[in-house]
Amino acid sequence: MISVDHRLAVQDFLVAEARLLDHRRFEEWLALWTDDATYYVPIRVSRKMPAPDVVEEIGLFDDNKQSLTLRVRRLGTDVAWAEDPPSFTRRFVTNFEIQPEEGGEVRVRDYLLMYRSRGDGGVHDLISGEREHVLRVEDDSFRLAYRRVVLDQASIGTKNFGVFL
Amino acid sequence: MQHGGLASVSVTDRIRETVLPEEGRVPMFIYADPDVYALELRRVFGRSWLFVAHESEIPDPGSWVQRTMGEQSVIVARGEDGIIRTFLNSCRHRGMKLACEDFGQGKMWRCPYHGFAYASTGEFMGTLVGAPYERIAYPGGLDRDALHLIEARCERYNGLVFATWNLDGPSLEDYLGPMRWYLDILVGRAEMEVVGVPQKWVIPCAWKFPAENFTSDAYHTATAHAFLAKLNLTKGVDFGRDGYHVDPGNGSGLGIGIHPEEDGSYFPEELHEEYAANLDADQLRLLHRIKNFHGNLFPNMSFLIPNFIKVGDQWISGMMLRLWQPIGPDRLEAWSWHLVEKNGPDWWKRKGRATYVQTFGMSGMFDQDDTENWELQTKNAVSSLPRDDEVWMHFEMGIHLEPLGDEFPGPGDVYDGKYSESSGRTYYRHWRELMLEER
Repeated sequence: MISVDHRLAVQDFLVAEARLLDHRRFEEWLALWTDDATYYVPIRVSRKMPAPDVVEEIGLFDDNKQSLTLRVRRLGTDVAWAEDPPSFTRRFVTNFEIQPEEGGEVRVRDYLLMYRSRGDGGVHDLISGEREHVLRVEDDSFRLAYRRVVLDQASIGTKNFGVFL
Repeated sequence: MQHGGLASVSVTDRIRETVLPEEGRVPMFIYADPDVYALELRRVFGRSWLFVAHESEIPDPGSWVQRTMGEQSVIVARGEDGIIRTFLNSCRHRGMKLACEDFGQGKMWRCPYHGFAYASTGEFMGTLVGAPYERIAYPGGLDRDALHLIEARCERYNGLVFATWNLDGPSLEDYLGPMRWYLDILVGRAEMEVVGVPQKWVIPCAWKFPAENFTSDAYHTATAHAFLAKLNLTKGVDFGRDGYHVDPGNGSGLGIGIHPEEDGSYFPEELHEEYAANLDADQLRLLHRIKNFHGNLFPNMSFLIPNFIKVGDQWISGMMLRLWQPIGPDRLEAWSWHLVEKNGPDWWKRKGRATYVQTFGMSGMFDQDDTENWELQTKNAVSSLPRDDEVWMHFEMGIHLEPLGDEFPGPGDVYDGKYSESSGRTYYRHWRELMLEER
């Protein structure tokens, strides 16, 4: 059983993180990540039960702090066409399962639903997935040390991942 | 050109009159016109050799993958006898899909609708094997041979598996022609293997835009991928220029970026011996100078060894194969496989995989820019359809250049410097020929 304070602190952190991304405050978002961060999105496949439907050998994201930094620096240039003009995004973060703190770290699982709309035609993409995080406790708050996102599509229905999950 | 109302012009007449790559122009309507697309499925995808799998994806007897030729679902399977075949993924009884998974392993497929079963070699094995119902339902028996799975021609080159419905057309080797010399460098230099599974995602763009980009467009890199120079990851805006433009004929094309010979090879030393055993001296010398290597095998299989990027003190690159799988006139499903040398050192595999995912594919910093261009080109192509006067695409780059002679050892028309659209013009000549070929 975790305390209400612990639960609220973790939820507030992840909700605030989603808000940084939706508001394109990428430099502040990047600062949330630890130097040894891992950010991984494996590939989902259509298989019959009981075969595993997640392939780990290769991903849709396979990043560390260095490559996340490069992505953010790129978004800061005036030639990042794929997100300039930017997508309108809204990240809904729910269904938190929060572990007690252990060794200065907190493991969390949540669900992500991202709404993404770009350009005209009145259309949008929905990106849905389950996320696993390791948050590192630091000065009364947290930093992101690990994130893994299992998406709910084998063939991804958005034209690129110029957006973070 | 004025058509005086497009309703009066057949799509083949319009193609004949307006697809003029020899003059450096191609009309925009051909990219996303539904009538053009319907004809392409029959005359381009129905007659060309199509890439369907890499051997390493189906390593064992009984292993198979589900793939698509044009819009037709097929099963590419290594039979229990070890032979790789390609079948229409359709039960001979009522046309239900036999394989509904992305990949699998087994001795047979049993249709989930009425139980018609097929061996991994395509032979019909009966319905509900071992049950008495078949004798009641079909007292006269079933014609086993007539119910054999519909099989495409299937051949291999350097681990790449191709299939075609053109049963009496050229062999795969003849179809590939001069391209074989370059495919040797790409996937024949060592034993290659697919890492994991392909990434798949849907791009709202017409399939020929990315195919022509990989065929002949080295010029876009300085603009579309300008962030590289802005972030000082490359020396300047001309990183796409030095090297060769290759027009091997048959509608395929390549661009080979090279670095100075004195810089030495960017490929790992641990593999040099294997490379030397698989390539001739000219191929080997070119391989070791590669900075990047892109191309498209007509109609829709692209490949790329992207720019080597220096990570720490090592030059890293992660190669890929692509399929631009049409799912309508203005949409495609992109498939992207990462391949690596099976006997490569761990650092090469580990860093190559990460570099590939970060720079290319669904989330890749390069691919994001590209999908943006192809999507918005497609929107304009759709809107050009109802016009009576054609909207022309400019295809003149390098039109007056002469190919190199003996100073380049590889086959095909090879041009000094990557800036040319020569192979793009050949792409549309070949496309036009197929589209106008009556049978």
